[in-house]
Amino acid sequence: MKVKVISRSADEFTRERSQDLQRVYHNYDPNLRPQEKAVEYVRALNAAKLEKIFARPFIGAMDGHIDAVSCMAKNPNYLKGLFSGSMDGDIRLWDIASRRTVCRYPGHQGAVRGLTVSTDGQVLVSCGVDSTVRLWNVPAATLTNSDDSSDNSVEPLATYVWKNAFWAVDHQWDGDLFATAGGQVDIWNPNRSQPVNSFQWGTDTVISVKFNPGEPNVLATSASDRSIVLYDLRMSSPARKVIMRTRTNAISWNPMEPMNFTAANEDCNCYSYDARKLEEAKCVHMGHESAVMDIDYSPTGREFVTGSYDRTIRIFQYNGGRSREIYHTKRMQRVFCVKFTCDASYVISGSDDTNLRLWKAKASEQLGVLHPRERRKHEYHEAVKNRYKHLPEVKRIVRHRHLPRPIYKAAALRRTMIDAEKRKAERRKAHSAPGSIVTVPVRKRRIIKEVE
Amino acid sequence: MAGKMRKAADFTPAMAQKKRKAADLTKDRSKSNKKPNKLNKTLGGGGGSDDKRKRKTGPRLPAPLRKVLGGTKRSTDSLNDSDENISSDEANDFYEYEEPLPQEESGKNRRFDIVKNFLLDPSDPVEEDENVSSEDDDDKDDYDGVSKIEKSHGWRGSSEQHGDEVEDDERHLRMLQTVSGMPSEAFEGKKKKKKNLVISEAYPESEFNPSRDVLNGNGQISIEELIEPLQGKPGYSEIRKLIHEDKNSTSIQAPLPRVEREMLERKAVYEQSKKDITKWEPLVKMNREAPSLFFDEDTNLGFSTVGAIASGFEPRTEFEKKMAILVNDDKVKEAHNEDGSKLLELNKISAEEYLEDRNHIARMRSLLFRHEMKSKRIKKIKSKTYHRLLKKDRLKSASAEMLMDPEAAKEEARKQEFKRAEERMTLKHKNSSKWAKRILQRGLDAQDEGTRAAINEQLHQHALLTRKMNTMKDSSSSSGSDDSDEDDVDENSAGSDPDAASKLFAKAKEKTLKVLQEDDEVPTSGVLSLPFMVRGLKKRKEEAVEEAKLALQEYESSLKDLEDTGGEENAKVGITSGRMVFGAPKRDVPKPKPSNKMKTDNYYRNSDSEDDLDENIDVGNEMRNDLQKDVNVDSGFLNEDADVHRDSVFKSFDDVVRDPGPKTSYDVAIFASGTWKKMKKGKRVDANIKKSTVVGKPVLQNQEELAEESDTDSEGQMVDGILSAGSKPLYELPSQEELVRLAFAGDNVEDDFEKVKQEILNEEIPEPEKPNLLPGWGQWTSVQRKKGLPSWMLEEHEIAKRKREEALEKRKDAHLKHVIISEKLDKKAEKLHTKTLPYPFTSKEVFEQSIRVPVGPEFNPSTSVGAMNQPDVVKKSGIIIKPIKFEEVNAHEKTEEHKGQKRSGNNQKTNKRKGAGGKRTGVRPLVVKS
Repeated sequence: MKVKVISRSADEFTRERSQDLQRVYHNYDPNLRPQEKAVEYVRALNAAKLEKIFARPFIGAMDGHIDAVSCMAKNPNYLKGLFSGSMDGDIRLWDIASRRTVCRYPGHQGAVRGLTVSTDGQVLVSCGVDSTVRLWNVPAATLTNSDDSSDNSVEPLATYVWKNAFWAVDHQWDGDLFATAGGQVDIWNPNRSQPVNSFQWGTDTVISVKFNPGEPNVLATSASDRSIVLYDLRMSSPARKVIMRTRTNAISWNPMEPMNFTAANEDCNCYSYDARKLEEAKCVHMGHESAVMDIDYSPTGREFVTGSYDRTIRIFQYNGGRSREIYHTKRMQRVFCVKFTCDASYVISGSDDTNLRLWKAKASEQLGVLHPRERRKHEYHEAVKNRYKHLPEVKRIVRHRHLPRPIYKAAALRRTMIDAEKRKAERRKAHSAPGSIVTVPVRKRRIIKEVE
Repeated sequence: MAGKMRKAADFTPAMAQKKRKAADLTKDRSKSNKKPNKLNKTLGGGGGSDDKRKRKTGPRLPAPLRKVLGGTKRSTDSLNDSDENISSDEANDFYEYEEPLPQEESGKNRRFDIVKNFLLDPSDPVEEDENVSSEDDDDKDDYDGVSKIEKSHGWRGSSEQHGDEVEDDERHLRMLQTVSGMPSEAFEGKKKKKKNLVISEAYPESEFNPSRDVLNGNGQISIEELIEPLQGKPGYSEIRKLIHEDKNSTSIQAPLPRVEREMLERKAVYEQSKKDITKWEPLVKMNREAPSLFFDEDTNLGFSTVGAIASGFEPRTEFEKKMAILVNDDKVKEAHNEDGSKLLELNKISAEEYLEDRNHIARMRSLLFRHEMKSKRIKKIKSKTYHRLLKKDRLKSASAEMLMDPEAAKEEARKQEFKRAEERMTLKHKNSSKWAKRILQRGLDAQDEGTRAAINEQLHQHALLTRKMNTMKDSSSSSGSDDSDEDDVDENSAGSDPDAASKLFAKAKEKTLKVLQEDDEVPTSGVLSLPFMVRGLKKRKEEAVEEAKLALQEYESSLKDLEDTGGEENAKVGITSGRMVFGAPKRDVPKPKPSNKMKTDNYYRNSDSEDDLDENIDVGNEMRNDLQKDVNVDSGFLNEDADVHRDSVFKSFDDVVRDPGPKTSYDVAIFASGTWKKMKKGKRVDANIKKSTVVGKPVLQNQEELAEESDTDSEGQMVDGILSAGSKPLYELPSQEELVRLAFAGDNVEDDFEKVKQEILNEEIPEPEKPNLLPGWGQWTSVQRKKGLPSWMLEEHEIAKRKREEALEKRKDAHLKHVIISEKLDKKAEKLHTKTLPYPFTSKEVFEQSIRVPVGPEFNPSTSVGAMNQPDVVKKSGIIIKPIKFEEVNAHEKTEEHKGQKRSGNNQKTNKRKGAGGKRTGVRPLVVKS
């Protein structure tokens, strides 16, 4: 008689520690497991539910300013450093990890409207409505700067007084220039008291300016004449202007796709443009119920965060028409500025209620060190959820967000209005001669013209 | 325009420089050389051919020289980067565009006529005006224009004029073009017509034939006129050319208006930056198409080891500084370096010492262990009495300790004093609490015993705590005496002699008597004088008296017992102590009756019910003794019931054999009835009732049953037999048809199928409900009856019916008579389907394919699961992600990368590295590409 015996060596199957997993051999023959799809579907459903359960995005508020937070800047060289400027002229450096003020920069007479930090993280540039540009030294980031030194105040390195009030400032990536926006666009060298270059195209106030991090010599501005203007510093000239129906409050370039930028518009939407084709937006990101005040791309370039006047923060995919996430708290007022941290895992918002708020970029992410098994589990959940996200149940759970009542109502109202407009347009078209009315796609609808 | 050109020339080198600074890419170098060229090209597009003509102006080399240089220079210049050369390079470039222009040559022949005629026409001032205003030429040019008019057939002047004209035309043309969007050819005809309009002069203009202007005095003699006579001489053509060119050089056009100029500039800049940005396209495309992006490479966390961190440590606080001073002290260091080993040596211990130490530790450990075990055991004991005693013991020992130790006593006193003070301050126990107030309000009489006791207790507490110090002392002393008394008692009890016991009883009797006599005084003042208190006290006293009396009687009886029965006493005492014991004596030898009676007597005094119970049990005891055997047998029988009943039968028979009586009949009855449940019941209830009357019946029944069974069987057989036997002789062969009909006589298949189909249809598309009215709803009943159903209801019903019919018509099996195709929607399955094809997928098959293979770890080997579940963006928190950096990508490499990834799905780590290399890692690009 032949006896079949499973032979396994004790060496292979002995665990070194009690925490080690038992070694298991597995037959992966699909015929043995006919229910795999059903199993995975249920897992996807559970993953979606778990994600909802563990969604706790709010980490904490940073309290300290005594007036609305108007602008923020992140230190590109130091993860924990964050600067914020408020309407009363106060500038603070925060330690995000401990959520405390590390140091303050007194000096501005009016509201601080723009903050930016040089790429090496050494110099902070601030500007405000008191028509001054101030340069500050950033204290070196040490391992131990979280001890209580909250009244560290610093004298500015330099103060440049100029002709007009400033609205925004941005520093070149890996360069030494920075640009301010106000009556015109000024390009400054930090060592000179006068701008090295000034651009004026049109007479209206320029309200925001952003350098392209991929192409350091290209910058975009938006002005109160509803225009977005591109500049090229290599030829020291503006390049192209596009005029929209409403004002653009802020611009952010995609750090991973140097040709693309997204504009936060007053009409509740964000418009992603390709700088080479400005006659139509590449994508319209809808969702906010009031003017979008600020926008910032994640360093991964795959998503961006927007802060709005409707007291919410939304996170969009770079190519998504609707927001992936919406954050709000009872106490958060109008959001004036938002930033993604340099490691793409947190979002910071500054709002009218004088607080900065720290959020997780992924609401249900588990913080802290993950065991490899945990990480794998999370990845699997994500993958399975992603796979079945089109099925109605999973979709419903994943998409569902609880909103404050005013926003929910405003959204419903907006929807009805848009629907009504659409219906009207359709009827008009149906009742007029064929071809006489052309439907303009949404991506073009809000653009008036492109000016050379 | 020249000025502008110079500007352009200035700005290009600067630009080139900047550019070089900004982007150190070799690729750009060639671009920057081409840039001016490009710029001018675009400018030319805006300015038209006049620009081209103008480009001839400006300081330059003589033509022959230039021609010679032309061939060589351009080639060298393209490689030369120096700033000066770029300007000259530019000039060359311009020429390149000049030379092939055929317009000048071709237009030459016609120019004579056109210009001449045109100029001679004084009635057309518009042209002149246009010329001046639009061109903004300088004086010289103007003058030329005038001199041309003086000339009769001076083709040079005319050519110049024609140039202007052409310019104008072209501008006009361009304007038209931009306005209408039509090609320039469309407007060509117009121009020609205009030219034809020009009228020629009667005789040629010359020095002998001055024109009108000259005669008027404002004419001047031009160089052309002067060299006119040289025509036909050998070097004439060269001279003419030179002069011609010279003159051309002077005709500089005014710069464009600022707005226009800036627009052109912006256009150029935009084109340029567009082109620059486009270089990112392949990189971005690759990134977008990559299955996942990696940002977790190159993690420079600053410190790698603990040692590195420690070396970077700097003392900040005072404590740290002190420590640092001590640690870094030279002496200490020296000592450590020199004597480190010595110090260790000094630490040596002898073997004995070590042993002693070890033993000590072991002892302590065992002690600890024992103590632990003991406390565990004690904790496990459930007896309340034991714990009470234990507690008392502990308290006693504590008080003793207090007595011994003045410190502890003081502490205790202080505590006590504090408590007292607190009580005096708060009067917590003096009926001031909400609870007490409420109770008092309701009246103490209305309360139950417990509440009253609680109130009393509280008051007692209060009294105790508010008593003065000296009284406290008294009480303590009295309690002390009590304690001693108790001790005495204990001692007495400890001695188990009968004498001692009797003594003890006597003492107790004495004491109780004392109590009975004493309790006559009634307090006249204080809390205790309150009526309810008095009442309470009285009641208590009565109780106490009763108790005392009982105790007395007990003592007496026990004393008597002591005297009567010496030996049995101990056991008896044990019996009286508690109820729990009474089972044991019964199990033992049956007791003599007198003792039993005495026991009952004793019990009578305590409580009736208990005694009754005992009595009953005692009474029953006898019966039980009788029944005991029986019960035992029964239980055994019951156990075996579950087995085969034959066993039980045997057993029962055994029983029968053993003791014939009521039991036997009962067992048999059980077996005979055949249901075991019944048996149990019977056992309980009928034990006494059933007698031998039952014996015969069931057995009989059983027999009958058996008989019946056999009967039915045999009957069936018989019937069969009869049937077969009866039909055989009558049989005739039926026809085939009949056979078939007979075979399927019962089942009407087609009708059944139709019925089934109809049912299914009705289920899937239900028939609309018939409209019915609720009498009195919506209208008076009489009206309803008269009018019948309202029209809208009928209409609705009609519509519903029609819809149903339509739906039936639409069904796939509508015209298939023998088929049912179910179109029922499974709601549970619906959850697993999407309504529309999801966005990125182009077809249903692709979508289904995408979710076909499972990704879980149960269904895939662990080597491939990681790759399957990889998220879109792999990043680590805490690592700064820098913006994208440019690197060359070629398509070939990319595909290779992809392949590599697919294949090396097993090895995740290498895969990651590879992928990162191929894909655009936005992180600091450590990847070095050769």
